[in-house]
Amino acid sequence: MAEFGVYIHAAAALGPCGDTTRTERRALTADPPPFEYKELVKRVVGVPLRQASHLVELAAIGSQLCLKRLATPAPEDTAVYVGTGLGEVRKTNSLFYQVMPPGPGLASPFDFINAANNMAAFYAAKLGNFRARNLTVTQEEFSFEWALRLAVEDLKRGRFRQALVGGVDEHAPPRLNHMRRIALAPEQIIGEGGGWLVLSRAADRAIGEIVAVEDLPPGRSPVELLNKRLAHWRQEHEPVVLLPGFRLPRDEAAALRAAFPGFALENYLDWCGCFHTAAAFGLAALLDEPPPAPRLYVHLNRRPAGHWMLVAARSWPGPRSS
Amino acid sequence: MPAVRVRGLGLISSYGVGLAAAVEGLRAGRPGITPLTLFSLPFQNEIRVNQFDHGGFPPGEESAVAMLVTAAREALAGSGLDAAALKEAALVVGSSGFLFAGEAEYRLHYQRSGAPSAPLLRAPGHVSQQLAERLGLEGPVLTLSTACSSSANALLVAADFLKRGEARHALVLGAEGLSAISLTGFHSLMLLDPEGCRPFDRERRGMQLGEAIGAVLLEIAESSSRDTGASLLGGRSRHPASRDTGASLLGGANLCDIHHVTSAAPDGSAMREVMEQALADAGLEPHDIVLIKAHGTGSADNDTAEAAAMRALWGARLPPFTAIKRYLGHTLGACGAVELAALLGCLRAGFVPPAAGFSAVDPELRLSPLTATLSAPRGPVLYNYFGFGGNYASLVVTHG
Repeated sequence: MAEFGVYIHAAAALGPCGDTTRTERRALTADPPPFEYKELVKRVVGVPLRQASHLVELAAIGSQLCLKRLATPAPEDTAVYVGTGLGEVRKTNSLFYQVMPPGPGLASPFDFINAANNMAAFYAAKLGNFRARNLTVTQEEFSFEWALRLAVEDLKRGRFRQALVGGVDEHAPPRLNHMRRIALAPEQIIGEGGGWLVLSRAADRAIGEIVAVEDLPPGRSPVELLNKRLAHWRQEHEPVVLLPGFRLPRDEAAALRAAFPGFALENYLDWCGCFHTAAAFGLAALLDEPPPAPRLYVHLNRRPAGHWMLVAARSWPGPRSS
Repeated sequence: MPAVRVRGLGLISSYGVGLAAAVEGLRAGRPGITPLTLFSLPFQNEIRVNQFDHGGFPPGEESAVAMLVTAAREALAGSGLDAAALKEAALVVGSSGFLFAGEAEYRLHYQRSGAPSAPLLRAPGHVSQQLAERLGLEGPVLTLSTACSSSANALLVAADFLKRGEARHALVLGAEGLSAISLTGFHSLMLLDPEGCRPFDRERRGMQLGEAIGAVLLEIAESSSRDTGASLLGGRSRHPASRDTGASLLGGANLCDIHHVTSAAPDGSAMREVMEQALADAGLEPHDIVLIKAHGTGSADNDTAEAAAMRALWGARLPPFTAIKRYLGHTLGACGAVELAALLGCLRAGFVPPAAGFSAVDPELRLSPLTATLSAPRGPVLYNYFGFGGNYASLVVTHG
């Protein structure tokens, strides 16, 4: 079977303060206060989503921002892949208080419908008018990486021409509960938001390319793997930027940088805080900014048990034309 | 293209632990429907459910992992493969989100303390990861949450892993426990039939919810041909319901019906399309299908759209079709793996169960599902799964 390259045609990141571009972002020093997205929904989506959940609002804004950055509208057969670590945690939380003892024991129908974990993917498809494959991956800190991997493999094999891939998660206070849900250390800042990419088999007008999405079983060193892979991935003299995920403590990230002294390190978590799909924010935010010369971004994250996932993506100075 | 074979099956259902118990129940035409006793609800007496005995499993959140391990072990034991062969297997789990595990943990705390607590609401993938660690699986682990098509999509994703050569085996689980939130949610939407579901029937009034864990162990066949029904293992097992299934996943498809968040396009166009795509993926024409396992929830809208889709695709030459949710309940995200395992067990035992709950043709639908047990036909069977958020999946599976 013929394999296709996978090219990035648009990228958009949404941060926890409603920030959608670098100029709007600021470094977080504590958990950002809750942000009300309704106005941003109206501005970006064009219509209010009256009964939409907070998570759906995040997904609607992010996916629509990304799609609006395309040079030409995405076709109806665009597949949608969404990663979300926790899914609809706020709506589910609300249902617990409605239904579980001491009661009252009856659920709001709207809350119930909105608590389905695939609502973000449904709305991304509905707003984009996409009727193709629609998958929601909920695999903790690798939710976005797996969504991206599934999309890339489907595109490589020619199953679809184009895919919309996103990672999105919401913060559901109080802090202590949310920290337990995603197993954060006390000093880690909790964020929310996500990132979206439009991928295609076509190189024309692309702003970059997906180089690889790899998972690494426990017991194998990511440094060793990176050393091997970079020989193939990296173009001559190409700058490489490492993006350590939120499961890598600062000392581990520093050790990684020490293993690759010529590479830059991008602490994107300073802008978005920690959440399961923060990788989507980090990659999309950087891919949304054309570099002066081709640049390779390598995102690394791991599970506490030792599994690693790596995403390598190249950003180009501007859209390519054939 | 190498075939994707079904190497092992496991099931926990309202008939008990083990696929054989479910096959026996379906053969006897005995719906596993009971009053709800697992927990209390304000409308307790207005519903019937399919539940199983939780007594053999630990309490609280741990119950979910224990149930999955039990179903998985049946599939793994039935496969005859040893732990070393499975170490690098992929694990793909489909569930609407393990709400039942969070509720079980909440109830446990409430019973002990007498006070409400903040629900933990872990990530759905947390259970899958624990399962992988418990089973010693070191391959890729991922969880799909696409409402009622979750584990059907898990089967498709797992098959892709195998076809790409990323794993030699893939264990797929569909998992759903009865949840107070789901029951009250569907009750508030007026989607539960107090009599139990009556798929495609003129008097149908909604669904009956159930809980079950289905396990399907897939492997890539050595053979380069599409399935012929011959088992790779050769010989017959002492556990014919779960071993040496002789079944192959020939193809499938998934798409999104963007008509409405909870209801299908009434003309069934998106359902028809997903069936057509599944057939195309399997390299088959509609007339090649010998049997359809309908999604058949018993809800007015879903059955109307599914009937319209089947009429549009097959016209007057519609193959026999059945619906098995009256037996097992609608197991939501689990039904992909659960209904596949159950029906494969029945087909292997030589029969197709009729659509229990059906008694009168709906003049609007103009279709009648099977009303009597049928001898198992040989050939490809189409399995339909349609969920909230317009998430549809169809699978084509041959059973030898």
